[in-house]
Amino acid sequence: MNRDAFLTRVREAAAAGCAHRVHLNDIPGGVGYVGTSAEKCVALADEISAVGGEAIVVESPVAAKDAVATLLKQYEAASALCWKHAVLDRLKLPELLADTNVAVHDHSTLAKLPSDEQRQAILAADVGISSVDFAVAETGTLAVCSKPGRERVISLLPRVHIAIVEESQIVPDLFDVFEQLGKLSFDDLPSNLAFITGPSKTGDIELQLTTGVHGPGKWHVVIVRDA
Amino acid sequence: MSHVDYVRQEHHAFLKASDEALSNPALQQILDKLGDSLGQKNKDAWDAFEQHDLVRQRARAIKDDTLAALDKHLATLEESVTRRGGHVYWAENGEEASGFILDMIQSRGAKKVVKSKSMTSEEIHLNKTLEKHQIEVVETDFGEYIIQVAGHRPSHIVGPALHLSKDDVAEILSEEAGEELPSNREALAAFARRTLRSRFAEAEVGITGVNYAIAETGSIVLVENEGNARLTTSLPRIHIAVMGMEKVIPKLSDLKYFLKVLARAATGQKMSCYTSLITGARREGELDGPEEFHLIILDNGRSKILGGPLRESLFCIRCGACLNACPIYRNVGGHSYGGVYAGPIGAVLTPLYDGLADNHHLPHASSLCGACQTACPVKIQIPEMLVRLREQLHEEPGQLGRMESLAYGLWARSLRSSWLYGWGTWLATRTIGRWKRRTCWLRRLPGSLHGWTKQRDFPAPAPERFRDWWRQEGQHQTGNEEQRRES
Repeated sequence: MNRDAFLTRVREAAAAGCAHRVHLNDIPGGVGYVGTSAEKCVALADEISAVGGEAIVVESPVAAKDAVATLLKQYEAASALCWKHAVLDRLKLPELLADTNVAVHDHSTLAKLPSDEQRQAILAADVGISSVDFAVAETGTLAVCSKPGRERVISLLPRVHIAIVEESQIVPDLFDVFEQLGKLSFDDLPSNLAFITGPSKTGDIELQLTTGVHGPGKWHVVIVRDA
Repeated sequence: MSHVDYVRQEHHAFLKASDEALSNPALQQILDKLGDSLGQKNKDAWDAFEQHDLVRQRARAIKDDTLAALDKHLATLEESVTRRGGHVYWAENGEEASGFILDMIQSRGAKKVVKSKSMTSEEIHLNKTLEKHQIEVVETDFGEYIIQVAGHRPSHIVGPALHLSKDDVAEILSEEAGEELPSNREALAAFARRTLRSRFAEAEVGITGVNYAIAETGSIVLVENEGNARLTTSLPRIHIAVMGMEKVIPKLSDLKYFLKVLARAATGQKMSCYTSLITGARREGELDGPEEFHLIILDNGRSKILGGPLRESLFCIRCGACLNACPIYRNVGGHSYGGVYAGPIGAVLTPLYDGLADNHHLPHASSLCGACQTACPVKIQIPEMLVRLREQLHEEPGQLGRMESLAYGLWARSLRSSWLYGWGTWLATRTIGRWKRRTCWLRRLPGSLHGWTKQRDFPAPAPERFRDWWRQEGQHQTGNEEQRRES
């Protein structure tokens, strides 16, 4: 249908419909903020466990690196997809992966591959390792924004997703994330922002919970306290 | 196969379909569970969220304000989507929307499509159109995949395969797999993961619905638990999103209120596992995400509703909470409603979209108990709308049977005259009232009135009129009472 005809019809209908508006009291903006009263790292870890993930709080990047090493061993990972991110660099993650003989695919190695090989590599990976843009303590949610080096498939395709979160990345409530997003310019809003709250789940058979039907069935979050 | 295909061919089959559903023990067992699981989780989630009521009112106010200037917000949405490199199409009806999608797929030479669950695409019968033109469409939501293989229609807004048991699913998927799959959930989910992964990898086009579209940023929002919507918008080269025009919200900051209530209403979660905010196609330097983004904005009868008294039905955010709360839905199941949308909100939407005359049973498929409105995250006044539809229905000629017309006519006449009313009630108490003085119930009304007594008894008139009793006993007793109090 012609755009203008479509919108004209909508305009007329919207005007007519104003006779049937529901009358509401003014509700102040910002209502619904929950946040958390507990310590941020602990609150986040608790919520992550509540939604079916596994969280561990560590005191240093070295301890975080060890935690990741243990997970890679536990899942016998042969290949991993990785973000490029300052948090991962502080962990010396590239060194760890080189030491443990895990084949690593990140933006720079993937970009060099022809597209079908690139596709095969991302589909075959055992583990995805990322950081986050924000973590929400109230709900146990990780917010990840796409950009070169922070591919969306990393938190999505492998059976195991490991996320490293630094304390400074944790905010109390979802509303805090929206406040930060509100500061971005029109062009700076990422092409993809995923709020991840738990491993992939379905209740489609008899309302019973089954994990890992499409996305990662195992969801590990390593929370690093500020020094 | 143990399951029955409830897909309804005729709209007037509501009663027949409900009868079938009521006498299907397997279905009844699943529906019984629904209230205890999703319904209860929804209630608990509201209880645990102190300001839920204010947030729900806020979300409701945003919907109300947006609809009042819907054309403006849609124009802004178009501008924002275009600025981020996307394309917008305006579809008057389902046929046009399906046509756009078909043209686009064909013009790119694409043959394989993956879809994530979308009620709007169901509404426009998209799969049928694409399949007719030899385009392979695969539903990727686990429940949708199961019913696509089985050839069923969704029976619940968020749990489309709710009507099937684990054994049914095993049988359906085993046939598809060409091997015997064990009847356990993990194995069946693993089969779906394996099979659908290869479909995702091959597909050139991904089609999704839209939970919210944000006018100021040109973003669409998808809320899900499985990750299939994320896969659909990450792997294929082209992303096509279909939205009903009422899905637009003005600002990014409006979204946060809806995210606070949607998952709590749908499943009792604080947040669903995955909420994606998608703004245009992939950007320079990115390795994944679609290269093209197309958004189809659909009217399909919505502007007619927008201008009328039932405009509030456009507030619906498709969470399914009213279905889980409804005593009728929890007895007759989703397929009985016949339309794309089931349950209380379906009983409003289906007559509005597909015509009241063809769906005259639906406004009556409710006890008006109000559980739906209590559960609704945006507090839609569903019972009131159902009553309004009933009113409209009775204004339409030919909707009442002859007996019903006669009965209501007599009733109206007798209420307008005190002697006629007095004589009528005297007659009823002297005849039926006295005959039935022992049981007090009528088991079977005559003729077409029997419709009322088929499922329940009708209360018989009392053997004596109240006014007669009052004259003899009531006044006397009150008099005694007063005398006692005075002394």
